[in-house]
Amino acid sequence: MDASQPTSQTVAGPGLAARNRRDGWLMVAPAVILLLGLGIYPLVRALTLSFQRWELQSPEQPWVGLANYGEALRDARVWASLQHTLVIVVFAVTLELLLGFGLALLLSGDFPGKRVILPAMMLPVMMVPVVVGLTWRTLWDNQYGPINAVIGRIIGHPPNIVWLANQKTALAAIIVTDVWQWTPFMLLILLAGLTGVNPELYEAAALDGAGWWASLRDISLPGIAPVVAVAVLFRGLDAFKIFDLVFMFTQGGPGTSTETVSWYIYQLGFKFFRLSYASAVSFLILILLSVACTLYVGLFLRERTT
Amino acid sequence: MSESTKGNRNLPLHPSARWLEQSIASRRSVLKGAGAAGLAALGLGGATAAPRPAAASAVLQPEAARVARRLLQEGKDSATVAVEAAKALNPKPEVLNVVWEDALQLEDPKNFSGPMWEELTGIKINPIGKPFTELFPSQIAEHLGATGAFDVITMVPAWSPDFIAQGVVAPLDPYIDQYMNKADLDDYHPLYKSLMNYGGKVYGLFDDGDVIILYYRTDLFGDQQHKDAYKAKTGNELAPPQTWDDYDAIQAYFTEVGGGQTYGGASQRAPGQVYGWFTEEFRNRGGKFFDEATMDAQLASDPGVTTVAAMVNRNKTMPPGVETWGFMEVLTAWMSGQLAMIGGTWPPIGRWSEGTTAEQLNWVPQTQVAGKVGYSIMPLGHSLHNSGFQLAVSADSPSQDAAYLFCQWMTSPEISLQRVMLPYALRDPYRLSHYASEEYRARWASAPVYLDTLKAAADTALVDLIMPGAAEYNTAMDNAVTAAQAGTPADQAMKDGAAAMDAITDRIGRDKQKAAYAEFLKLKGSYYS
Repeated sequence: MDASQPTSQTVAGPGLAARNRRDGWLMVAPAVILLLGLGIYPLVRALTLSFQRWELQSPEQPWVGLANYGEALRDARVWASLQHTLVIVVFAVTLELLLGFGLALLLSGDFPGKRVILPAMMLPVMMVPVVVGLTWRTLWDNQYGPINAVIGRIIGHPPNIVWLANQKTALAAIIVTDVWQWTPFMLLILLAGLTGVNPELYEAAALDGAGWWASLRDISLPGIAPVVAVAVLFRGLDAFKIFDLVFMFTQGGPGTSTETVSWYIYQLGFKFFRLSYASAVSFLILILLSVACTLYVGLFLRERTT
Repeated sequence: MSESTKGNRNLPLHPSARWLEQSIASRRSVLKGAGAAGLAALGLGGATAAPRPAAASAVLQPEAARVARRLLQEGKDSATVAVEAAKALNPKPEVLNVVWEDALQLEDPKNFSGPMWEELTGIKINPIGKPFTELFPSQIAEHLGATGAFDVITMVPAWSPDFIAQGVVAPLDPYIDQYMNKADLDDYHPLYKSLMNYGGKVYGLFDDGDVIILYYRTDLFGDQQHKDAYKAKTGNELAPPQTWDDYDAIQAYFTEVGGGQTYGGASQRAPGQVYGWFTEEFRNRGGKFFDEATMDAQLASDPGVTTVAAMVNRNKTMPPGVETWGFMEVLTAWMSGQLAMIGGTWPPIGRWSEGTTAEQLNWVPQTQVAGKVGYSIMPLGHSLHNSGFQLAVSADSPSQDAAYLFCQWMTSPEISLQRVMLPYALRDPYRLSHYASEEYRARWASAPVYLDTLKAAADTALVDLIMPGAAEYNTAMDNAVTAAQAGTPADQAMKDGAAAMDAITDRIGRDKQKAAYAEFLKLKGSYYS
């Protein structure tokens, strides 16, 4: 632009620019206030709360520094709930990835009815988690549940497995239900990844005599690796927050054997109103997750994308 | 007010009660700056205003108080006084927000008492249903968030120390003095009257006699073949069990003859509920929650280990999967005739067993046991009063007079009798006049036995642990029992439970808890041995 030409600003003068800036701020103000009020401020307030001692039975709310964090690090239930959560995350996400990938391979080609089957398979993802919990609690019922009925048919007598009252089977039931609900999510992401792989690569490989396995190993898997990494990250983070199934199935029991991190924090904060300690545990977990995610991104995503 | 009542309510403040008062005051000041914001941080509520202080000195509405005084001088009952005083309120609230347990419980204020109160006083009742497990946290959260969302609070006696410490509920003594016909206080069963008092003050009007009793099938127990077979097997007469050993033998016998189709008995064993059954048997066997001197938890004692081992062993002759059974599962099995006994449950099951045509109960299985039900106090002689509701006034309510008057009207002898007799009622008898009501006793053939058993059970009932942190202690015991049910050795489960309880005590403070426990020990029904 010719510098001698007057701009709209110079034509209108500095007053208009100021008004524009002001109007701009006014227009974004509601969003900024909402963001600060509902996002940033609560986060900061929860952080400060974690340095206090605020409990239902405590008459004072003194500053206690890092005492809540120290207690959390020594709290066996924090570590136990973390362990239960990690078991769920590792088994559930691995199974979902394997099943999702298998299904994605099956559905990657064209076949009659694909437009009906694919959306139908997405139904579990769309279901309200509490409804999933209620439905599957019935399925796992030892007396009237279809799962025991099927097992009974196979082995010839009632199996009498009380799935949700046994420490090992309760956790397994949670994992299986999670896999049922979230495998379609993996399927969708991986299917999108597979569809994005250049078909000419397969054609070239076929011309070179590569078989199905070789194409899968050398073309499909490297092609969708970044997608897999992202899908695992998303699903892993989501599974780490598992709450609904624990709430509907076991309430963290028997004993505390299926207590997950979310459930424990919920108990601390919303049942026993140990708000400061619940905040501290939440931030501790947030820190752990952030470190894990950073490492994961560094190891898998950055390397893949470069 | 009678002298005895006056004496109760004017007790000098116990140290724990003084602490509670200080607690309320100091919390108020801190909450102004931090509390509501912190809750917002945790997503509990967006309000940033400090909660209104508990109504330590209630300001009664003069016109309503004048009307009440005149009517009380004329000897009118509490229900009439409540209605007339509510009509005289100025300003009179249009609506009272009443927190209530959800589902069937909600039918009473929604379809019966609420509309009746509105017709009588012009004040609409807005019942807000909450699942039982959410009642405690949601009411605390609304108070800490200073939302003023509730006028009438639903309070379980075991929650009262925490509710009072947080200033959730207003003391009712000034209102009782002003509005209640004191003869109606003496109509409360002594157990429930004593439960209304905490630290020398009344914070809730009792409204639900939740005493656990044992139910048994009179047709099976009266059957000569069963009597003979049982005697041949055990050497004892077949009769309602007086001890848990008796209970176990009878349950095992009927389970054996049931051949997998019917069972000797069942009890609630699901997480979140089973602690009640444990605390009853534990104390009947001589167990104590804490050592009075040290406040060390006593779960890992002989009574604790014996009780939990017996409970786990008893599960073996209950229906398979009983470890997940709550009230509904027991109800279903009982109503369909699958059980010879219920090893204790709440009173509604006794009424529903006799059949009901109430629309609200069309989900309850058709009874197969009508006319065949006997009632008994729990083995070893002391039933548990588990849960039970009180109606209280929210300290955050802008309409405390109206809220109190509604509570008084609801729990008055006349109205409460109608409510505990509703076919779909989940409120259970708690007034002496309820047990003696000719109308109630004529409801079905064995109703007099039912009511007499409920009263006898209340006469000697154990009460839930009532002290700060009760919900946490109960959860620790519940976790210990469910762990044992899932295979953890009984002694280890009890050691773990005791350690969890000790950690709670240490956190709240041994001295504080010692004072609070001493207060609990004064309650009728804390222990009997």
